[in-house]
Amino acid sequence: MEFEEIYKTYWDRIFRLCMGFVNNYDIAQDLAQETFIIVWQKLDTFRNESSLGTWIFRIASNNCLRQIEKQKRYPKSELPVHLTEEKQHSLEPQIQFLYQCIAELPETDRIIISLELEDVKQNEIAKIVGLSETNTRVKIHRIKEKLTQKFKENGQQ
Amino acid sequence: MDNNNIDFKDLWKKQTISQPDIEDLLTRLKQFKKTSLRILWITNIVLFATCVFIVFIWYYYQPQFISTKIGIVLTIVAMVTYLVVYNRLLSTFKNIDEAQTNQQYLQKLIFIKRKQQFLQSRILSLYFVLLGVGISLYMYEYASRMSLFYGVLTYVVLFLWIGFTWFYLRPKEIKKHEIKINNLIEKFEEVNKQLH
Repeated sequence: MEFEEIYKTYWDRIFRLCMGFVNNYDIAQDLAQETFIIVWQKLDTFRNESSLGTWIFRIASNNCLRQIEKQKRYPKSELPVHLTEEKQHSLEPQIQFLYQCIAELPETDRIIISLELEDVKQNEIAKIVGLSETNTRVKIHRIKEKLTQKFKENGQQ
Repeated sequence: MDNNNIDFKDLWKKQTISQPDIEDLLTRLKQFKKTSLRILWITNIVLFATCVFIVFIWYYYQPQFISTKIGIVLTIVAMVTYLVVYNRLLSTFKNIDEAQTNQQYLQKLIFIKRKQQFLQSRILSLYFVLLGVGISLYMYEYASRMSLFYGVLTYVVLFLWIGFTWFYLRPKEIKKHEIKINNLIEKFEEVNKQLH
């Protein structure tokens, strides 16, 4: 697959994953861009051992984890200028609340649930995160329960 | 409790998204490379220039004493060691494989951070020792040509400076690095534990 094609196919999914991790539009844009920079640099090392999706999601989620370190170094990063114009997003409160709840989960749970909501198969999620399939299934179940609980407490239903 | 009441997947996908133009990405890619290269260049150039300066002194003033020559060599060794280790550290970061599982990646990050922590304090101390001894030896020839008073004064000032860097600057620098790295290691370990 050509890089441009990958970029078009995966941007939305990668952006949502990053957004679930940080719940901050600008940082998520940055993280997603960084992910594609890595993909661009490493594309020739991709050897079809895993599916392209698994490979890209691994890079994206690892980059999110790496963000923990960068957070301390650069508090705010720059974005291309004309992106900022589109930032006016009035989302339904429910959507905002979902992303907020996810971003408050422990780091690896954020990744797991984001992938699940992206319709990534559970055995693929296990391969991305590095857990067993059973473990992954249990975790997904628990996270969903936690989210439902939060929605109920908040009267979002 | 019924999960099906809320369609999380549907909500999840309603997030507003704006896909930046691919040109933006490529511009950023170039900037990215530039900044990291610039940092590398600045460090290397500064150290290289210092070494050139010292070699120039060697040729220009033609030192007679062996102590002067040993001093020069030690100083250069100190700088080169620092330079090599610093560059190595940077390259381990660049070569980390981003396509591993999260678990492997976290372990790798922790490993690298630990190594960095070890190297930084050791290398920094070594750097100060070599530099201090090197300069003291180097100055001997020139101080011996001065009157006794100025010769002693030169060494007193020099040792005060070395003492200041060793007892004040070095521990401060090491501590600064350690706090930062320890916090990170702790955080990465905490995240890694979530997977067990």
